[in-house]
Amino acid sequence: MAVEILKTKAEQGFADQLKASVPVLPGADVPWVKTLREAAWETYASTGLPHRRVEEWKYTDLRTLLKDAYPPAPTLAEALKAGDVDTALGKGLADFDCHRLVIVNGHYRPELSDVSGLDSKVEIQSMSDALAAPTDWLRETLGQVNREESDTVVALNTALMSGGVIVRVADGAVLDKPLHLVHVAAAKDPASLATRNLVSIGDGAKATLFESYVSNSDTPVQRNSVTELVAGDASEVHHIKLQNEITQSAHFTTWMTRLGAGVTYRAFQFSIGAALARNQLFIRFAGEGSVSHVSSAVLGRGSQHNDTTMVIDHAVPECESREFCKLVLDDDARGIIQCKVNVHRDAQKSDGHQMAQALLLSETAEFDSKPELEIFADDVVCGHGSTSGQVDEELMFYLRARGIPEPQARALLIAAFIGEALEKIEQESLRENFLELASVWLRGEGA
Amino acid sequence: MLEIKNLHVKIAEDDAEILNGIDLILPKGEVHAIMGPNGSGKSTLAYVLAGKDDYEITEGSILWNGEDITEMDPDERAAAGVFLAFQYPIEIPGVATMTFLRTAMNAVRKARGEDELSTPDFMRIVKEKAKELGIADDKLKRPLNVGFSGGEKKRQEILQMSLLEPSLCVLDETDSGLDIDALKIVADGVNKLRGSDRAMLVITHYQRLLNYIVPDKVHVLSHGRIVRSGGKELALELEESGYAEFDEAAA
Repeated sequence: MAVEILKTKAEQGFADQLKASVPVLPGADVPWVKTLREAAWETYASTGLPHRRVEEWKYTDLRTLLKDAYPPAPTLAEALKAGDVDTALGKGLADFDCHRLVIVNGHYRPELSDVSGLDSKVEIQSMSDALAAPTDWLRETLGQVNREESDTVVALNTALMSGGVIVRVADGAVLDKPLHLVHVAAAKDPASLATRNLVSIGDGAKATLFESYVSNSDTPVQRNSVTELVAGDASEVHHIKLQNEITQSAHFTTWMTRLGAGVTYRAFQFSIGAALARNQLFIRFAGEGSVSHVSSAVLGRGSQHNDTTMVIDHAVPECESREFCKLVLDDDARGIIQCKVNVHRDAQKSDGHQMAQALLLSETAEFDSKPELEIFADDVVCGHGSTSGQVDEELMFYLRARGIPEPQARALLIAAFIGEALEKIEQESLRENFLELASVWLRGEGA
Repeated sequence: MLEIKNLHVKIAEDDAEILNGIDLILPKGEVHAIMGPNGSGKSTLAYVLAGKDDYEITEGSILWNGEDITEMDPDERAAAGVFLAFQYPIEIPGVATMTFLRTAMNAVRKARGEDELSTPDFMRIVKEKAKELGIADDKLKRPLNVGFSGGEKKRQEILQMSLLEPSLCVLDETDSGLDIDALKIVADGVNKLRGSDRAMLVITHYQRLLNYIVPDKVHVLSHGRIVRSGGKELALELEESGYAEFDEAAA
């Protein structure tokens, strides 16, 4: 049956990859891991790569967009020094004060990481080690955080995951510095990477998790990264992502998040790079009285394709969700925002609002916005909005009447537009870094 | 000196002529008022002087210091000393007032061949002028004009005018939306800028503003032409009789 479904070269390529990698993937001789991978494989094999007739993927048809499946990155990553990681991050972020966890080509690299000073508050383990000797906790948690069994990209990740990190923050722990997961692509030849992270934030803990996705070479990768995150009751979590891949790469990340009761969850995603990017966020309210604010900023030019797809599940009463997305699209770039908010039958007093705004800098840039609300409770407040437009000529005239030349005035207005999203980042040094990346992009020097 | 010669203007996407043959001479050191009823072309004249491209000049010329500015971009005119205080100042979300002021000041200074201001100098000058106009520090940190009252926006216009040091100031209905206290502050700000090197064109519907900014000359605009010119007493006369006689005369 699978043979009939897998039609394209890329689809078959991933199938071949799996066959070849099974014996060398972590946990190959652990029955639980084997079962997990096989189930995921069945999901993939029964549907193949998602295409335009699959509603969740209607704007991002992988059968068309993914021409090929690159072979898996070598198990042992290329020789990489801490200095190379700094170079990949760029100057501002290299100096960012954080606890650094480095993942190269999907493998956790403790010798490149710096987690000194974290002591007993935070437990860190390599995912590949954990899969080789799974604990009861791992068996109960991995793939269970916010189950999206039908998602093909997540299924492919589970089937092919080579490593990543497990981070467990103790109950009540307040981290002094952000945890920075640096995902470096450093392949000599085009490669596919499947990274799996699992993060658990204890009850009442406060932590900032920053995931950066950067490249150390000009070699394209197909990156599939999944981060599962469980936020314990009354915890406060800031979850920030920077996607600054080289523009030949494909980037798929999925955040699967489960929030306990009384949680404050603030997420931010900033996308600049990659030819093809799909950012998935699946957030589930599992405890009452929680708040989730997700914001994103996307800068696209050339023929970049950037799709942000979110599913927010209000499974319990009295939670608040906000999604705020801003996109600047030039040339033939295409930006997509899909955000589905499900309010379950008993989730009374749910409060959800989403807004997506695109600034189109060319006639051929395209923005697709698909808000969806599925509401089964009767006492809720939900809303959505979406706008797209060009740089406002009235504003331009005002700035120019004050002596500001046309290109500078335009850049100022674009920076202001994207700045409204970047302002949502509460960590000042990250916000400054991102603003600088945006201004580099505006000067035409970035991705 | 500003010399407007036989200026005809229409809306770029329309055939309707809004200004049809304006002649005006405004020497440096003088303040002239343009008065007229709604729809007489007052705001169009202001926009055309500043270089808004929604309008098309079909005939005539605008000379500033002997140079025809009609082909110049708005930012080039600003560098040449032209400043338009907007009737409806624009809100610019996401651009902090200070950032905007600094960008504008440095752009104009650069175009005039002057050095950029150092940060301490810039801060000192802005705070000093803002204080004179009763603009609170927190307003300077906020995005430009966003959520400001009508009076606050007009003060921002005058602040910009004093910072950019223009030689030709065009004030478009600066009195609209102001209560009497705000009007006095704004007029004080304008009067401080009066000088022998500066020409000012004050556009207004009502005579009230001219009690505070006393003009050297008053011109009456009706149906896109200047139909009468006179001294400051002409404004008082208009306050009495209204614009009706000019409407009829022009029609």
